[in-house]
Amino acid sequence: MRDLFRFLFRVRNVLLFAALMTVSLLLLYNGNMHHRARAITSSNALVGTIYSWRKEITDYANLKEVNRRLAEENASWRNRSVDAYTPLENTFVRINDTIHRQQYTYLTAKVVNSTWHKQMNFLTLDKGATSDVQEDMGVIGAQGIIGVVRAVSPHFASVKSVLSPDLEVSVQLRGSAHFGLLRWDTSDPLTASVVDIAKHVRVAPGDTIETRGGDGIFPRGIPVGVITEVEPDAPGIYLGITTRLTEDMTRNGFVYIVRDLVKLERDSIQQAHSAP
Amino acid sequence: MIASVLAHLLRFTVLILIQVLVLDHLDVANGQMVPYLYVLFLLMLPFDLPAWALLLIGAATGLTMDAFASTPGMHMGACTVMMFLRIFLVDLIAPREGYEFGMKPTLASMGMAWYLTYAGALIMGHHAWLFLIEMYRFDNFLSTMGRILLSTVFTLVLCLLAEFLTARPKRGRA
Repeated sequence: MRDLFRFLFRVRNVLLFAALMTVSLLLLYNGNMHHRARAITSSNALVGTIYSWRKEITDYANLKEVNRRLAEENASWRNRSVDAYTPLENTFVRINDTIHRQQYTYLTAKVVNSTWHKQMNFLTLDKGATSDVQEDMGVIGAQGIIGVVRAVSPHFASVKSVLSPDLEVSVQLRGSAHFGLLRWDTSDPLTASVVDIAKHVRVAPGDTIETRGGDGIFPRGIPVGVITEVEPDAPGIYLGITTRLTEDMTRNGFVYIVRDLVKLERDSIQQAHSAP
Repeated sequence: MIASVLAHLLRFTVLILIQVLVLDHLDVANGQMVPYLYVLFLLMLPFDLPAWALLLIGAATGLTMDAFASTPGMHMGACTVMMFLRIFLVDLIAPREGYEFGMKPTLASMGMAWYLTYAGALIMGHHAWLFLIEMYRFDNFLSTMGRILLSTVFTLVLCLLAEFLTARPKRGRA
């Protein structure tokens, strides 16, 4: 018995090392696989606060670009407003809409920190649980999708960016509705791949990829990318498709957090249906 | 004693802030070179700390970085590996007469050859673990090897610069 203790004492540093490495691997595993129980993310208060100081300073450098993008977006809304259309008849017809029901609401948020040059990328937003932000909400920019909320604290949210190899977004071809998954395996912040589109589908460079919707994260039809390259000879039964992301992930200023009002209902019916 | 602990705490704070506020946002060679200067804090921990303290300080430093980078466990593992290597490396490359009282693991105190071996090997160990874990899938092994090497050189150069810039002229010796 005493020999055992002596032995354990002699290898105590190795034991401590093994214990610390186990903790780190457990954290790593839990952090990536489940997105629950993570006290250590950039959404915690101290970290968020330090990042917002940085943002306060760097914001000034980007004002010109932010203005340009806001103006562009204003123009696009203006194009869709009633004023942009000439009435065909001189009478307004008011339709009490019983066909459409609002399904998504949007919340603007400021990006206080973001990375795009790592192999797994995150953003920190300045809205959190007090603004009703929850895990698994989609985040989109003016030009396209950005990521999915992975953790929230009272005033900040941590978002896994589409520039992460393990975040796959359900996407479809605009027009033909053939669907696949967007996967970031190009290691290039400007492009991504679309996988699982079968070889018989006619795809050409220049076609638009948009979100498929139905996952309770992104609404249908949000632009994702424009196809730049189609590889018809890729191994397997699927095409190899490379797409240029429409949202420039290297410069997000303001983003929208998407809340799906019927997510709970859909999730519960899907769960009830798939339960054994 | 207290002054020395305070100096190390101050260095910790300053280096972590430089890391998360400046260096993490650098983009050199399309993300192929990422400097992690905060490991300089771990490199400068004194020789007379026991091994268990080195391991624990390493793990805590890594966890702090993880909090900023939203990568639970990644920096913690890398720093723990680095401190574990340090325990052996410091004995392996000890000067012939052993370490004297008052020696510090700095460029000014130990000389260029010793420091390059020490910092180079430890930074390489840290970056190797970090990038291999960060890669997540082992599909582009060669490019990750390139990242490890290039980033190690980058971090090492920054450490040397920091050492040159902060070294005070030695007192007592001509």
